[in-house]
Amino acid sequence: MASVELQSITKRYGSVEVIRGLNLSVDDGSFTALLGPSGCGKSTLLRMIAGLEEVSDGRALIGGVDVTHEQPAKRRVAMVFQSYALYPHLTVAQNICFSLSLAGVAKSIQKEKGGRVAKLLQLEPLMDRRPAELSGGQRQRVAIGRALVRDPEVFLFDEPLSNLDALLRVQMRLELAKLHNDLGTTMIYVTHDQVEAMTLADKIVVLDGGVISQMGSPLDLYNHPANRFVASFIGSPGMNFLAATVAHAADGLQATFDGGASLRLTPRAAPHFDGTQKVEIGIRPEHVTLSDPGAGQIDGVATVFEQLGNTSYVYVDTALGQIIVETDQSVRLHPGDRLGLTLDPSRAHVFEASGKAWAEQRPQ
Amino acid sequence: MTTVATRSATEMSRPARRFGIGRILLTLLTLIAAAIWFLPIYWAIVTSLRSDADTVREFTLLPSSPTISGYIYGITNSQLPVWYLNSTITSVVITVVAVLVSAMTGYAISQLRFPGRNLLWWTILASFMIPVPALIVNHFVIIADVKLLNTHAGIILPMLLTPVTVIVYKGFFDGLPREYREAAVMDGANPYQLFYRVFLPMNWGVTTAMAIITFIGAWNSFLWPFLVAQNVQMMTVAVGITTVQDAFGVAYGRVLAGAVMASLPVALAYLLFQRRVTQAIALSAGIKG
Ligand SMILES: Nc1ncnc2c1ncn2[C@@H]1O[C@H](COP(=O)(O)OP(=O)(O)O)[C@@H](O)[C@H]1O
Ligand SMILES: [Mg+2]
Repeated sequence: MASVELQSITKRYGSVEVIRGLNLSVDDGSFTALLGPSGCGKSTLLRMIAGLEEVSDGRALIGGVDVTHEQPAKRRVAMVFQSYALYPHLTVAQNICFSLSLAGVAKSIQKEKGGRVAKLLQLEPLMDRRPAELSGGQRQRVAIGRALVRDPEVFLFDEPLSNLDALLRVQMRLELAKLHNDLGTTMIYVTHDQVEAMTLADKIVVLDGGVISQMGSPLDLYNHPANRFVASFIGSPGMNFLAATVAHAADGLQATFDGGASLRLTPRAAPHFDGTQKVEIGIRPEHVTLSDPGAGQIDGVATVFEQLGNTSYVYVDTALGQIIVETDQSVRLHPGDRLGLTLDPSRAHVFEASGKAWAEQRPQ
Repeated sequence: MTTVATRSATEMSRPARRFGIGRILLTLLTLIAAAIWFLPIYWAIVTSLRSDADTVREFTLLPSSPTISGYIYGITNSQLPVWYLNSTITSVVITVVAVLVSAMTGYAISQLRFPGRNLLWWTILASFMIPVPALIVNHFVIIADVKLLNTHAGIILPMLLTPVTVIVYKGFFDGLPREYREAAVMDGANPYQLFYRVFLPMNWGVTTAMAIITFIGAWNSFLWPFLVAQNVQMMTVAVGITTVQDAFGVAYGRVLAGAVMASLPVALAYLLFQRRVTQAIALSAGIKG
């Protein structure tokens, strides 16, 4: 087990800076997710930790040792690729033991170590098959086995579940969580799927355009997004964003929406400004409640009503744009119904034009 | 997985049930084409088993009194065994060395980054454009200069240049996702292990196909061995067999017996490797899976 530390890491392809002076420390034994949209540099970052990509600038430390220019195989890290990259000409057993075989480890030891991994991953009946004869989930487990057999200090996963169907993905997610519990090895997990990150990780690092947008525990990011990007990326369905103008008022702020409706905000601290300022108010679907038309701050018309069984979502057309509302399953609605919406001001987020979030509201 | 395998197995063992008129016609047509193709081969084999007296007299599908005297004569009264040995040595060496060197070259150009890589690649592409006969005089002069006429090495050396094989390998290595290489690097493979334990065996299908083609080409090659091997002790089968005609006069049985023996290894190679080739194709298809 080892910690991972990146110090002012930069990656350039030609003149394009893909990772920009990024600092990150991953605690020993933690499960850290690198989360971000496609193309934000997650894989590049992971591959620099693995040593598959040269670092343009900065240092990488694993277990406190500078590995910036160390060979990938000598870093005691193992990687599971999105495409699994199982060697098609080798059996499952040979795939798992390939690193041992390359290192000239005795056959009997290979067999023993391979057997242990196979048992852990329930691959025993498949040991003589070739990758082409395996299902997606089985291939995934072989790929994990191949990483496991090397007793790595750090596991690196690059979108390992994205080639699986939805059901299998949930199942493998569980197995990965169990694996981390059992082994306690440091794991760094790249994904663009916020649900995976939220469910698996104890720390999420949100990347945006090669820089860290925010990092913290899943609930931290959900409840206290530092900016509009994180707020919109985390949570499904996403947060509602409503254009508004704010002005200082007694004991807080007065937010006025474009249609004239207003909301009384009580932030713990608001930056000083004169007159009014254009902002966006962010509010999650579960913090909006339905009421009779005219009874809430905003009126609208239901367009879509989604019932998931345990909960329901209503998509409401308003003068401010579409607002998604989560309701409990007892509510029955039809498209075209007129509704009033009440926003919980204590759960509202305020984002200034640059996207930065202001401090949260005081509980009322 | 298992259910799929069992199902396809039962399907294959079940005889075809539908005999549409189109199917019958198609089968007939195929049979006729096969017969036309096979007839000369059949005739050569049959004639090689007849005495010359029978050959000019009878016109039957099977020899009335089959004899292997043509074969015995060829083996005992010409240098056929020596030619066989020469062909085998040169073809095997050419196949092993040419395929291995081509695979390594293709690998280097596709996977390694070194100065002059592009120049090397363009040189190989350009050499592919030049027909071999255009170089044959140069080759001859060079081989004569280094005193390799009438040696195995003299026959082998110029035939090791197979730019097509390099191009095929490079194309294949280019087409492999980079994750294979990276996974092997993470597993601790050094550059030699990357080539011998990952890239080469992963493309076993290509290697088998290239080896068969190279072997058959080497065995059947005529012009170059004909020029280099003037000494009867150094001739290959393809070259030697042309001298048999002069040595034997018009003796159908003996000439055709010689021809059958000359082409036997090639025919065997086809037959033996037929399964390997199918297997090989299945394996290369598995790479994408
Ligand atoms: N070898 C490369 N050469 C040039 N640009 C690259 C290379 N690899 C990745 N990039 C660029 O770097 C950015 C980040 O890529 P990547 O790390 O793969 O993103 P992610 O994994 O988050 O989807 C992308 O814009 C991509 O186009
Ligand atoms: Mg990626």
